[in-house]
Amino acid sequence: MEDKPTTPVVDEQLSFWDEHRFMVLIVVTILISLVMVSISIFIYKVSGSAQLDLSRPGLQSVSDKVDRTDPVTDYSPFGPVNKNTVNDFTKIYEKQAARAKAVDAFNGDPLNPDVLEFSDPSTATE
Amino acid sequence: MKKRARFALYAIAAVVILSASGLKNSYATDLTAEQADLVKANCLSIKGSLNQLHASDALLRVNRGQIYESMGTKLMASFNSRLSNNSLDNKGLVAVTNSYQSALSTFRSDFQTYEQQLSTAIKIDCTKDPSTFHASLELARTNRATVRQDIIRMNRYIDDYRSAVNDFMLNFERVTGKNS
Repeated sequence: MEDKPTTPVVDEQLSFWDEHRFMVLIVVTILISLVMVSISIFIYKVSGSAQLDLSRPGLQSVSDKVDRTDPVTDYSPFGPVNKNTVNDFTKIYEKQAARAKAVDAFNGDPLNPDVLEFSDPSTATE
Repeated sequence: MKKRARFALYAIAAVVILSASGLKNSYATDLTAEQADLVKANCLSIKGSLNQLHASDALLRVNRGQIYESMGTKLMASFNSRLSNNSLDNKGLVAVTNSYQSALSTFRSDFQTYEQQLSTAIKIDCTKDPSTFHASLELARTNRATVRQDIIRMNRYIDDYRSAVNDFMLNFERVTGKNS
């Protein structure tokens, strides 16, 4: 019996990319996710979403006081226009307008040094 | 010609310098020694007050903002669309709505500026740097006053829209007859 000729083993030199393919995949994946997270955080801060996020540190105490139900009633953009429908609208509108103006928002001057009790004693008014 | 250009250049430079110095004065950071001591001594309680204000204003922004947003989208825009769908003249109402939306947009951005400034002030160590803390607080104070003005402006547009609806109704009755 004659032995079959064995195929010659070629000592193939792997390139750098072939050798580190898996590592490169992981690094690139991490880099892409870092970029995506950075973009998300940037948008979160710039768009004003951060100001509406009451789950941020220091704001949890008020997060349960958010009015979850929107008190403003929808008015249909479709339908006839006559005295009755306009009167219906004005009734809804006046009710909501009163609600919007019910709270005198951001009034007062709570950041005044007098209020925060570090005003200049020499200029303090009686 | 050259003299004129030079004169204009000097005038612009003078205006820029004057306004910059005015700006500097309006946010004067000159705390007296007594005030600086008070800030250092009361730092903890001041920070507590600021944190409370930060939280209550954030809540106000969410709750009030929701109502103001809905007024614009659910009522004003809807009513304008209804008039438009019935081929009625809604120019006056649309003009007020646009002004309202613009005021609302300004409110959003002004509140953002104010909130960021207040957060910056809160982060400053007032025991170590009372002057910077005071300057930052003054800026936040100015920003808060701007937010207050935005609210007043939006309330005014809400009233204007109501008046515009009245005007529309008068015109509508005049054109179509009282029986419509």
